[in-house]
Amino acid sequence: MLLEVRDLHVEFRTRDGVAKAVNGVNYSVDAGETLAVLGESGSGKSVTAQTVMGILDMPPGRITAGEILFQGKDLLKLKEEERRKIRGAEMAMIFQDALSSLNPVLSVGDQLGEMFTVHRGMSKKDARAKAVELMDHVRIPAAKERVKQYPHQFSGGMRQRIMIAMALALEPALIIADEPTTALDVTVQAQVMDLLAELQREYNMGLILITHDLGVVADVADRIAVMYAGRIVESAPVHDIYKAPAHPYTRGLLDSIPRLDQKGQELYAIKGLPPSLMHIPKGCAFHPRCPMAQDVCRTDEPPLYEVTPSDGERGSACHFWRECLHG
Amino acid sequence: MPEQPDDDGAIAATGMGGAMDLATSEGETLEKTRGGPEGAGPQEKPRSLWSDAWRDLRRNPVFIISGLIILFLVFISLWPSAIASGSPLKCDLAKAQQGSQPGHPFGFNGQGCDVYTRTVYGARTSVTVGVCATLGVALLGSVLGGLAGFFGGASDSVLSRITDIFFAIPVVLGGLVLLSVVTNNSIWPVIGFMVLLGWPQISRIARGSVITVKQNDFVQAARALGASNSRMLLRHIAPNAVAPVIVVATIALGTYIALEATLSYLGVGLKPPSVSWGIDISAASPYIRNAPHALLWPSGALAITVLAFIMLGDAVRDALDPKLR
Repeated sequence: MLLEVRDLHVEFRTRDGVAKAVNGVNYSVDAGETLAVLGESGSGKSVTAQTVMGILDMPPGRITAGEILFQGKDLLKLKEEERRKIRGAEMAMIFQDALSSLNPVLSVGDQLGEMFTVHRGMSKKDARAKAVELMDHVRIPAAKERVKQYPHQFSGGMRQRIMIAMALALEPALIIADEPTTALDVTVQAQVMDLLAELQREYNMGLILITHDLGVVADVADRIAVMYAGRIVESAPVHDIYKAPAHPYTRGLLDSIPRLDQKGQELYAIKGLPPSLMHIPKGCAFHPRCPMAQDVCRTDEPPLYEVTPSDGERGSACHFWRECLHG
Repeated sequence: MPEQPDDDGAIAATGMGGAMDLATSEGETLEKTRGGPEGAGPQEKPRSLWSDAWRDLRRNPVFIISGLIILFLVFISLWPSAIASGSPLKCDLAKAQQGSQPGHPFGFNGQGCDVYTRTVYGARTSVTVGVCATLGVALLGSVLGGLAGFFGGASDSVLSRITDIFFAIPVVLGGLVLLSVVTNNSIWPVIGFMVLLGWPQISRIARGSVITVKQNDFVQAARALGASNSRMLLRHIAPNAVAPVIVVATIALGTYIALEATLSYLGVGLKPPSVSWGIDISAASPYIRNAPHALLWPSGALAITVLAFIMLGDAVRDALDPKLR
């Protein structure tokens, strides 16, 4: 296994109390595999990713329990300096908004080249040549001329390509993409996603794709992990989930995708709001919003039940996963 | 499908066929973008923040006027003898308070010194004090403020309280108390005093600016790609946070020149035989009815100098942060 997150707990201490952002997350990614992490804002998907990268702001963040095994090493036991060397070289991250993720006062060539000068000790000239090569690789036209330009001179899709190029520069084993296409036009979204998927195959990287867009996921992901209130509520191979979800929350997410054949009808929405992370409901965190909730859901927190039959490993944190699967 | 406002024509055209056939058309597009001139993208010149700001400045009349005045001031500070042949310390009591006469366009002051020569030589003191105090303040303030803003936590709280304490000291009163015990008759105690009282202003600005920039995604992104603290601070945060510091420092330069004159006027700044506008204003003020010219010229020079630096600061601010306009 390339990356294994085990029983990770992260909380934020704020003036108003403790916000439990991540409450026992388990997931794993293999080389060449794409794991999509789905969930609403505040479900803990980004915090988990930041913890894996080691860029969580601490304080106020605090890792209270868990292990992050990356290529067999527990990252949480490493010193900051060792972790820094892993970042960028062994694992890299792509952010949502490429305009704000690029430094406005440095040319894109300088920023791309920096990956090589900092991590590989290359000369500025060699790094510049590598930057052009990378820009070519992510299909930025006229890379040689544009390498001297500044981020604001590129379109949204081009900027995201540059971010991807920076993340891929040192050919890391793992890439975490935090909503890489959310800020882009729909047509450009597909191109960027295709590019990312293609490069992933080329380098045989593990990819964690954080998103709330189920449409993006279906094409590229191998596995899906659905997060709710800091926990994984369903984890399954991608086809299983689209065929029949085994958790009412996943079902709600799938039902709220707009579809052409529903034109004119009201769009389904999961009722209620995600819980405050300071007051996560007892029992199953989803029970106040769940159409299938029973008394047991209000008192007992469901473990991750193994769901069968399945193409691979499948789990659902719902007492009534059978009913959900067949209902 | 409507034409998409994307500046990369060929890539945008990929989307024209709809999302479905993207995978197939991607390859063809690639050929086209690599080979054809239509995929070459706009051949804009690279435009950095600084080159943009410089372009704005060159077109701003306020900048041109204040810049010319300041250039002139710097020139006469470096080579005062180029436009004033006499010595500012050569005085002839017989000519005291006389008005303008050939060779002495501004007349003579109460001690019979040539007002023109003294006004020209006074610029050197003012510019030196202003520039040195500003450099000291900017350096000390931005380093302390920047570090506090970047690392936060306890050091930040301590620094913020210290700046609060310094803010509570009235500048003129503080100058009267502190400088009256100094016997050294050079410009350095005055500069030191200004740095001592001035750095909290810049430190507060630098701290706020660093905190704002620190929250930007690109700092997080740099961290995620393995940048060290010093690299993030120096290469990613500092260049983006320096603009407000430059603006405030430029405006402050004018006020330091005025402060030097004030302190010298009060007798705790520079003392004769130093040549300073403040000293001359102080010496001439009792005789304002008999010899107004001796007061007018150094006061006028002081006012124009201070105004020029404040105008320059305004112009720089407009260029560096158009949102504030």
